[in-house]
Amino acid sequence: MNFDILIPLLAATVLSGTPVLYATLGEIITEKSGVLNLGVEGVMMVGAFSAFFVAAATGSPWLAFVAAGVVGMLAVSLHGVVCLWFQGNQVVSGLALTLLGSGLANYLGTPYVGTKAPGFSAVALPGLSRIPALGEIFFNHDPLVYLSYLLPPILWFFFHRTGIGLGLRAVGENPAAARAAGLNVQRLRWIGILVGGFFMGLGGACLSLAYTHLWTSSLSGGRGWIAVALVIFAFWRPGRAVFGAWLFGGVMALQLRLQASGAQVSSSLLLMLPYALTVIVLVFSSAWRKSDAAPAALGVNVEPGE
Amino acid sequence: MQLQILKRTRRISFQGAVAVFVSAILLSLFFSGVLLSLGGTPPLAGFTTLFQGGFGSRWALEDSVLKAIPIFLCSLGVAVAFRLKVWNIGAEGQYALGAIGATGVAIAFPDWPSWAVLPLMALSAACAGGIWGLIPALLRQKMHTNEIIVTLMFNYIAVYLLQYLVLGVWRDPNSHGFAVSATFSDAAIIGPLSGATSIHWGLVHCIVLGILLLLFFRYTRIGYEIRAAGENMNAARYAGIRVDFLVCLVIAISGGLAGWAGFVEVSATVNQLQPAMLVGYGYTAIVVAWLARLNPAGIAVASFLLAGLRVGVESLQLDLQVPADFGDILEGSILLMVLAAGLFLEYRIVRKGRT
Amino acid sequence: MKLKRLIITLAALVLAIPAVSFAAKEVKVGFIYISPVGDAGYSYAHNEGRKALEQMEGVTTSFVEAVPEGPDSERVALNMARKGYDVIFGTSFGYMDPMLKVAKKFPKVVFLHCSGYKTAQNMGNYFGRIYQSRYLTGVVAGSMTTSNILGYVAAMPIPEVIRGINAFTLGAQSVNPKVQVRVVWTNTWYDPATEKEAAKSLLDVGADVLAQHQDSPGPQEAAEEAGVYSVGYNTNMQSFAPKAHLTSAVWNWAPYYTKAVKEVQDGTWKPESVWLGMETGVVDISPYGDMVPQAVRENVDNLKQQIMDGGLKIFTGPIFDQQGKERVAAGQVATDDQLLNMNWFVKGVTGTLK
Repeated sequence: MNFDILIPLLAATVLSGTPVLYATLGEIITEKSGVLNLGVEGVMMVGAFSAFFVAAATGSPWLAFVAAGVVGMLAVSLHGVVCLWFQGNQVVSGLALTLLGSGLANYLGTPYVGTKAPGFSAVALPGLSRIPALGEIFFNHDPLVYLSYLLPPILWFFFHRTGIGLGLRAVGENPAAARAAGLNVQRLRWIGILVGGFFMGLGGACLSLAYTHLWTSSLSGGRGWIAVALVIFAFWRPGRAVFGAWLFGGVMALQLRLQASGAQVSSSLLLMLPYALTVIVLVFSSAWRKSDAAPAALGVNVEPGE
Repeated sequence: MQLQILKRTRRISFQGAVAVFVSAILLSLFFSGVLLSLGGTPPLAGFTTLFQGGFGSRWALEDSVLKAIPIFLCSLGVAVAFRLKVWNIGAEGQYALGAIGATGVAIAFPDWPSWAVLPLMALSAACAGGIWGLIPALLRQKMHTNEIIVTLMFNYIAVYLLQYLVLGVWRDPNSHGFAVSATFSDAAIIGPLSGATSIHWGLVHCIVLGILLLLFFRYTRIGYEIRAAGENMNAARYAGIRVDFLVCLVIAISGGLAGWAGFVEVSATVNQLQPAMLVGYGYTAIVVAWLARLNPAGIAVASFLLAGLRVGVESLQLDLQVPADFGDILEGSILLMVLAAGLFLEYRIVRKGRT
Repeated sequence: MKLKRLIITLAALVLAIPAVSFAAKEVKVGFIYISPVGDAGYSYAHNEGRKALEQMEGVTTSFVEAVPEGPDSERVALNMARKGYDVIFGTSFGYMDPMLKVAKKFPKVVFLHCSGYKTAQNMGNYFGRIYQSRYLTGVVAGSMTTSNILGYVAAMPIPEVIRGINAFTLGAQSVNPKVQVRVVWTNTWYDPATEKEAAKSLLDVGADVLAQHQDSPGPQEAAEEAGVYSVGYNTNMQSFAPKAHLTSAVWNWAPYYTKAVKEVQDGTWKPESVWLGMETGVVDISPYGDMVPQAVRENVDNLKQQIMDGGLKIFTGPIFDQQGKERVAAGQVATDDQLLNMNWFVKGVTGTLK
């Protein structure tokens, strides 16, 4: 494979990894607080639809982007109510949220299938985009991609230097100890869920505002589940999530380019690659680090009134 | 007024539990009714059509039972794994592998009589589904990977594997090259119970497998160990129960049942392998298992109800032009409500100061 | 096979009971679609045909969309038959066997299946020779390319799609022998994100005209953004890529649907297999984009006329496959059977058939 193909491939990698990256970061925030939210797929779907809807109605992609985040928060608040208030099982509640969210987005979106809405398009960053190779790969994308570059350092700062971030981690590790230390466990978990949902909604918005400008049912196509897998791959670290998301995007972009350049491999087998790779990566990362990087109290509800 | 949540000291009465469930379902119906009217459909007419289409006639009931068969078997499998808190959400993939396993046999032995080919198809399907489940279980026990993700990724891989087979080696040369396998020989098809009904022998498979499973849990040592380990895995480990073995066994049974569902569906209703047979029964099965609180009898009821819902949604489409996705919304919201309602089964809410 | 079909048709002719024909018999027509009708694609085109039926006297219609092939489609067809529908159209290949089963149970209901080949006393099938349109779009694409690489985003390696790719390639080669067509399979029919990504991968290998056998306009969008040309499918996709869109290979079902339903009303309907060509109006190409030069337009219009007159047969030999093996001998025309079972690419196509 020569350079002419490699650079567009890497650029496509970054682009198709971005929606997954937002969602992965959202899930990391949620899981850090000890709450497992398997509803990412559903939340991305409602995020994608509300972004599309708002963009079509107002013509403002930025407003649509923020709206997707807010709707994402609304969607995950269902998970919060079920798990934090009503002590429902987190795994099953997440699955229900996926069903409900995808169903809702597809249902409400029916009249919009095949229509277009305004969105983001690529803006070359002045100066940076001139750097040979790197400019083309990293700095010739839509604004949502650039925004995603800033998130990992911000999140690192949040988790390691701010009171809320540190509290969130404490609650995820040991809710009882956190409570003894005077932290409000319920409130911090709510924050984790809601902020996480905001990012998942943004991930959905990337799909309908930047990746494509069309609406269709099941636009997310399983990317929410990939995000859940990448959280484990990333050991719950925002920085590593970037590489995870890009790796996934890269395999997706690669298999299509293999076909385009005439490789004689079955398309079904190539399309299997991203999912098979996720499993392989998961096996290696889990074997290497065991699972001690996970928040210790992940998925465990806190008894009310304790 | 301040409210306080207290753990129930006594178990909730049966009537109380029913009341909680019914109100949860009513609430979700209300919510989806609002959505219906937002879409321009009068909710009452909508629900009447839905009910009529799913349960309102002999045809509807037969259709719902037919659709419930694969859901029931998948859900039975899911419940076995969930009981041990092994989160197998790969029923869809295990179901696909079952269909693949059964098809392999049906295609390899087109001349065999029914009594030979059908049991072999079942065996092959159950093994294929079981192994598809076993791999994530082994990875979980040996490499500490998360079985939720691995089983889920295995669903996608199974879909493409099925596609690969019908586009490749198993593609029927007589169907103008479309992505389907050859139609099975009559011997490899599970027939209807009688000429008067479209319900096939798969229903009997469901009943027998359901009872066998019940007996297994109730009367065998391993069944007891699974129940014990499901209550408290660490305690079970201290008590000398081989938890690793149990996890693998449970998920193999789970996958085997989903595989069996794939066998019944591919043989009785589809008669050939085709990608379109994967319509999400494996995911519905999870909803069913949880609604039924993992109880086999409950699973039978819940899978019938959800199958009826799916069938009824088609009438809703035909008569009132409501999009098919309405079924997902209804399923999702019922599940969320019932989950939330679970609180009232274990806790009670009182005004502060009273106990 | 052929003989059998002939016997069935003859038997059906004899058995067909001419219904008493009133001015306009009340007819309820049901449609079963594989995808949502709003997709601007395949089902949308069928649904436009259904709307034309609504204009007919005495005809009422309804549809069920997003029906998976297999058991679900059987139940939907069954439901329609029970609810008193007189004519049921099923528009996806996988509905064939389910519809056949239902047709046997409801001998008075007329079943019409799109893209299949099995018929019964009360079941016919129909499809259009969209490859004729593909050929013409290929001529346009071959005239407009400068890199001599055409990209083709395709759904599944089945004969219907392969035939389209081959016709497109032959069309392009007829005006530009150096042209090559690169194919990427997505294994999806409607997934804008994946299909757009697939289109981009074709741009990366140098394609400057993108064609598609997909229902989503994703590839059109990719072409528009990259400033290259595009060829649409199903319906006129110009609105998705005003600067890129050269033309589309389009379906126009209204003439056939109104004819078939009229026959049922009149009691003259007979079960048959029809493969409708450009002369019936069922397949066509959409109006050219402004960038298509006059000379190209004239050439394509001329070829279109020849196809409609029957003077130009697309798959006329010599035709060689990817490996250089002769598939259609010089002077021969490929038979419909060959076309329906086509599982090889013509020379000049780069892509896998697996």
